[in-house]
Amino acid sequence: MTLLFGLMVTGYAFGAVAAALSPNDRAARLLTASGTVVGGGAGLAVAFGHFASGAPLALEAPALLSIADGLAFRVDALGAFFLALVGLVAVPCGIYGAGYSAAYEGRYSLRFLGAMLNLFLLTMSLVPVAGNVLTFLLMWEGMSLTSYFLVMTEANEPDTVQAGGWYLAMTHGGLALVLAAFLLLAGGAATTSFADLRTAAATLSPATRNAVFLLAVLGFGSKAGIVPLHVWLPRAHPAAPSHVSALMSAVMIKLGVYGLLRVGLDLLSGGPAWWGALLIGLGGLSAVLGVLYALMENDLKRLLAYSSVENIGLVFIGVGTGFLSLSLGAVPAAMLALSAGLYHALNHAAFKGLLFLGAGSVLHATHTRDMNRLGGLIRRLPWTALFFLIGSLAIAGLPPLNGFVSEWLLFQSLLPGIGSSAPLVAPLMTLAVGVLALTGGLAAAGFVKAFGITFLAIPRSPAAEHAHEAPGSMRMGMGILAVACAGLGLAAVPIMSGLGSILAGHAGLAATTPRLGGLSLSMPGAVGQMSPTLVALGLVVATAGVWIGVRLFARGPGLRVDETWGCGRIAQTPRMEYTSTAFAEPLRRVFAGLYRPTKDLSIDFHPESRYFVQSIEYRSEIVPWFERYLYAPVIARVRWWAIGTRAIQSGSVHAYLTYLVLALLGLLVVLLVQGA
Amino acid sequence: MDSVFSQVCVLGSSLVLIFGLTLLWRRSVTAYITAFQWQSIVLSGLTAVVAYFGGDHELYLAAGALAALKAVVIPRLLRRMEHRFAAARELQPYVNTPTSLVIAGLLVLFGYAITRPLVALSQLPTRAGMPLAMGLVLVSLFVVISRKKALTQVVGFLMLENGLALLAVLGTYGIPLIVELGVFLDVLMGFLVMQIFMYQIHETFESIDIEQLNRLRH
Amino acid sequence: MIGYVLEVAQAALALLLAPGVVGLIRWMKARLQNRRGAPVWQPYRELAKLFQKEVVVSNNASWLFRAAPFVVFGSAVTVTLFVPILAVPLPFDGVGDLLVVVYLLLLGTFFLSLAGLDPGSPFGGMGASREMTIAALAEPTVALAIFALALSAGSTNLGQIVARTMSHPGAALSPGHLLAFLALFIVALAETGRLPIDNPATHLELTMIHEAMVLEYSGRYLALIEWAAAVKLLVFFSLLGNLFVPAGISMALTPATLAIAVVTLLAKFAVLAGAVAILETRIAKLRLFRVPELLSVSFVLGLLAVTSSFLLR
Repeated sequence: MTLLFGLMVTGYAFGAVAAALSPNDRAARLLTASGTVVGGGAGLAVAFGHFASGAPLALEAPALLSIADGLAFRVDALGAFFLALVGLVAVPCGIYGAGYSAAYEGRYSLRFLGAMLNLFLLTMSLVPVAGNVLTFLLMWEGMSLTSYFLVMTEANEPDTVQAGGWYLAMTHGGLALVLAAFLLLAGGAATTSFADLRTAAATLSPATRNAVFLLAVLGFGSKAGIVPLHVWLPRAHPAAPSHVSALMSAVMIKLGVYGLLRVGLDLLSGGPAWWGALLIGLGGLSAVLGVLYALMENDLKRLLAYSSVENIGLVFIGVGTGFLSLSLGAVPAAMLALSAGLYHALNHAAFKGLLFLGAGSVLHATHTRDMNRLGGLIRRLPWTALFFLIGSLAIAGLPPLNGFVSEWLLFQSLLPGIGSSAPLVAPLMTLAVGVLALTGGLAAAGFVKAFGITFLAIPRSPAAEHAHEAPGSMRMGMGILAVACAGLGLAAVPIMSGLGSILAGHAGLAATTPRLGGLSLSMPGAVGQMSPTLVALGLVVATAGVWIGVRLFARGPGLRVDETWGCGRIAQTPRMEYTSTAFAEPLRRVFAGLYRPTKDLSIDFHPESRYFVQSIEYRSEIVPWFERYLYAPVIARVRWWAIGTRAIQSGSVHAYLTYLVLALLGLLVVLLVQGA
Repeated sequence: MDSVFSQVCVLGSSLVLIFGLTLLWRRSVTAYITAFQWQSIVLSGLTAVVAYFGGDHELYLAAGALAALKAVVIPRLLRRMEHRFAAARELQPYVNTPTSLVIAGLLVLFGYAITRPLVALSQLPTRAGMPLAMGLVLVSLFVVISRKKALTQVVGFLMLENGLALLAVLGTYGIPLIVELGVFLDVLMGFLVMQIFMYQIHETFESIDIEQLNRLRH
Repeated sequence: MIGYVLEVAQAALALLLAPGVVGLIRWMKARLQNRRGAPVWQPYRELAKLFQKEVVVSNNASWLFRAAPFVVFGSAVTVTLFVPILAVPLPFDGVGDLLVVVYLLLLGTFFLSLAGLDPGSPFGGMGASREMTIAALAEPTVALAIFALALSAGSTNLGQIVARTMSHPGAALSPGHLLAFLALFIVALAETGRLPIDNPATHLELTMIHEAMVLEYSGRYLALIEWAAAVKLLVFFSLLGNLFVPAGISMALTPATLAIAVVTLLAKFAVLAGAVAILETRIAKLRLFRVPELLSVSFVLGLLAVTSSFLLR
């Protein structure tokens, strides 16, 4: 096991160094990919090795940075799960990157990209296995920095630079909050290792525990992308290269969930009911707002980014229900809810990774992300279209794929709460069910738009007409994730048992196993049962049966491909088809109170008469209201303070010397007062 | 608590609340008046049922008075006003329809939360309907603040009174006849005053849109 | 063993009866409108005719256009295996519950919307966009109605819900059930494209939703889609009839009880068809932007249904 761990670290390190020193671009791409694949595969092996043997692996190096207890790594079940998640997405993205980054040759440094990618994956793999505070924070910060550089790959685009700025600011804000949380936790502990923090947490006062939890929610929540701390997500994820976007969306934001579980569940061992209620509230808000803004987007990758916000909201709903049930003493319900949340995180990694890789393939072929300029790609990029369709079906939560199974489990985890007699739990659970159903329906609508407008019908621009299919490496990367989407759904029973044993032991949760083994998913604490494999089988058999039946018995006189009658229109041009904006327009109208779109209409009348029009320009924009009412004023206020404090930089040396002396005098006064 | 009486109470209260929701859904003032009429009929029926199961014969009189006043007299007066002012439709309320309905749902949940202590304390079989009555009170208040036409606000006020009456009947197993009569008189007085008020508004502004009152300010 | 045979028979019966139910509604509407109307078995003739016609596929369409009718029909057939039509409990009761049914129907809608977008015609896009809007807004109501039922029955599996209502007949009249019935009825109208949400007999593109999506289909593909829509209607009728008034459903799986089940099923279909026909004759179609208001009403009804079940505890 230690061997595999070492292999993982060396794999990534080798990839980074080799990419940095490679002789030419092609070698850089291949070395990057090989480092990623080796490291990712080793990471998966470490995780599965832990699941199989159950023995925790601990590695320590206290000599480094001994003032903060040095580096310590510890692989336990929760960490292994997230490590597996990293490996699962790292391998396909690495393979994909080999082909995708060919587009950057000559424009940007592939060596730097490759080195940063491997370091990013290395730090991401080491966050879940960190054993003390220093290691955790080091790896966390490493992850943030390397991802910043990756986001800034295409530094010539102005949007990218702005995205990088937002990302850097928000990730460091989150880091500050996480640091504060750990400092509070470590206040009573002997060393900063997680084991000591766990034992010390039991002795902390309730006020401190609440403070730690709140800081953790805000800090880890901003990394996870919870509203209102999500604003970096729709900027950073589209700006990054597609395989990096996939990694960030699929894996990095889940590490926010990991941090929250580690601090809240493992170290603090659960808390009062309002913790769970807060998580459910934040999760529900993120889910609804995320999907609503996703629906209005015309940029394919921004749509996917907002959809990630939505899915993280769903994960938080599951995790929050788990915390809530735990505080009420309903252990099977808590297990079910937490397992459902983690399962959804896993599924989201698979299908969101796939969708981003598909979007990258489209971008690679057409050089545009604007859906209003795409269309008809199903003929030019048949494989990408198929994989994107699988991803869309999965994210819309439709049987027989994995998204449906985790949504079903989330519903099942909410139902016992409705029957609870604790105050206000029943209304909260009812609202959560409504929110879950609404986001499911809206997500389906959003992905009909994403897939339909991008891939179907007629190309809307020359770029789409001349698109070409992705190279083999990109297709292989997508294919792996597509198979994962199907497989994760069919393997629901073993996965839920596995999650049960992963969560067992934390905060008094006892391991639960599905009631009926084999094919049927019936969890203790759930109120219904179903069998994902049999549903999938039934669907496939029914569809195939119909197809065979029609072929045998109802051939009819045959099929003709021709121009269809178009209600009298003479020619079918791309101008006549539905655009992405048009598709979402009914929902835009229904939720206009939320979106508050601005409308700008300018009409050029003919000089002779107002009945004739020369040109009309219509511009409508949706500015998310938390950016308008929350961030804009805060940023304006910070700017005002910053300009104000500029006054102390007068440029005079005497002034600076005076500051020094004053500071020294002030410190002496403080010491005097304290001593007295 | 699954007895037929409790179920009928909850069913009746739900119907009363649903008629109240009609004020947020429909746009035509005629529909509001019809909804109020039916609501009063259901309410008096429910009062009679409570009287039957509770063995309180005074309550039959209250039910009859309620039916006479609120299901016959007041709707007739309202319809006369409506003809006079040609009010017709509530087209641009301050909060649009789907949002109003969602807020109404949340208010019902809030009403449930508020009446929890009451329900927990009470021993009566009618206690299950109280949260719905509270919900109706809150929804009527919301109607009054979010709608513009004076007639809508009058109907909202009358439904508020219905909600309070329902709460009283369910919560205290019927109220003494003298109190009921007193409340009826209050309502009638209030209604007549509002009628005069609306007449004046219509004379001044040629419409009964309450927002027009802003123009009186200098 | 007999259970599996019965499952297949149930599915076959659903497929066979579905066009008849549509025909019944049309015939009743005609009679209410003082017309003679086509006979009840007219949809069967239409399906037979369509299967014999040539298919014309737009030259802008892709493989998805040709695959979608099969997916839609396949998902409708799969749903009939889980819905209690004749007898409970059947062997597949533990395989799929009410949530599975709802999401399988959503799968069909998803593919149909994509197929509407595929040929690139503006009608298809319009139908797809409207259909997905309505489907999305109807989802919360469906979820709340399901949970109102599942709360009292203790399970989301359909067989259990029916069994519980059979053993506690009084529960059928409880406010939670009645409100859930109303909410589900409104959603059934929305999902199957009946008035006042969508007009199944319209020819004007401004009033089309479902028709607009399938405008480009012809021949056997159109036959499959129409048939699947009829099956969806039958499924909703079965849910409305058998979940809320399960009297007559066979619990013992003997020929006598099955015969009674078939007769009561037909009676329930006739009543529901009559209700839909009367509603369609009396009410005009709502403007598209009034439909969310109706769906909000059904949402509040669903919310009340759930709250009344935790009120009566």
